[in-house]
Amino acid sequence: MNIDDLKDAWNKDEPAGMHLPVSTASLGKTSSAVATIRKNMKTEFIATLVSYIFLIAYSITMRFLVGPGVQTVFFLNIISILLFTILILNFFYFQRFYLFYKSIGRYDFSIKNSVNKIAYELELNTEIYKTYNFCVTPVAVLITITLMGGKDVFDWFMRLLSSNAFMSGTMLLIFATILISFLVTYFFVNLHVRLKYGKYLAELKQVMDDLGSE
Amino acid sequence: MIEQNKGMLFKICRIYQDDPQDRDDLLQEMTLQLWLVFDSFRGESKISSWMYRVALNTAIVFFKKQKRRPDSELLPENFDRPQDPNLGEEKEAQLALFYKALQQLDKVEKALIFLYMENQPYEEIAANLGISQVNLRVRLNRTKNKLKEIIKKMNYEY
Repeated sequence: MNIDDLKDAWNKDEPAGMHLPVSTASLGKTSSAVATIRKNMKTEFIATLVSYIFLIAYSITMRFLVGPGVQTVFFLNIISILLFTILILNFFYFQRFYLFYKSIGRYDFSIKNSVNKIAYELELNTEIYKTYNFCVTPVAVLITITLMGGKDVFDWFMRLLSSNAFMSGTMLLIFATILISFLVTYFFVNLHVRLKYGKYLAELKQVMDDLGSE
Repeated sequence: MIEQNKGMLFKICRIYQDDPQDRDDLLQEMTLQLWLVFDSFRGESKISSWMYRVALNTAIVFFKKQKRRPDSELLPENFDRPQDPNLGEEKEAQLALFYKALQQLDKVEKALIFLYMENQPYEEIAANLGISQVNLRVRLNRTKNKLKEIIKKMNYEY
């Protein structure tokens, strides 16, 4: 068999059993890497918005649950400042992700340029995603614990802040909580990124290597 | 435009995906991408060259699904057999074997052989892949030899 001799047969051949999609409505339901990334990004954005609505609504109801008082107002003020800080962080990262969302999936470059671009953007944004979660998640966890803990946590914090002596045991407990929440976040975010995008990235890098060895 | 060039799309699906459902998914994705990026076509090259580029890029960054849907409709069993009655049995068998051998190439080699079989000029193939023409010729020879070895391993005379 000679490959060149097969060219005629190749050009006459038209695989049977396949049909073009009949309408645009049936398009866009596929599972390409880019489509999956876009879908995940959209889901996470919606989940973040929902969590904000939940946290803000809960903060407002806390005022009525705990009852009026200096302590309640004090903690609601602190939580509002923390929420606003996270909001700013979210805004920064999501506008970066939005740019990535709009730019991925241009397929009219050469294969080398297209794959390089997608792989580069994907790797860059997974790293940004990791730092974003590393910054935001532990703070969000602490806010949630404070809110969920209700009056007991409020009182406990109040005693700590108004204490005249340095409470080494309590401080160690707080440091340990912060450290553990950072470590858990780091572990799960890395695992999540590796499971979700690691395979795609490895395959894209393989194609880059195959094209790059001039 | 897509209807006129559907044979090219079908062949790319056949080369890049061995599962019938994945082929259908890839065909959908390629059609979608051709719709989405059509505005970027500026007429600097032939429409077919532009389609080759978009379709191959889509195939290369397309990944198989982890799990198949239970309601997947399988394609006919004879899908891998060429359907043209004028081909002749020997050529038909050779082409089926050739398609099977192509499955063992990597993604870039598949694109290279596909464009070569489609009679694309070396200049166009090099531009579509993003490599130099010298590199292209070296790779083409290397890939042809690799195919020869694969077919030999499949116990057929090359």
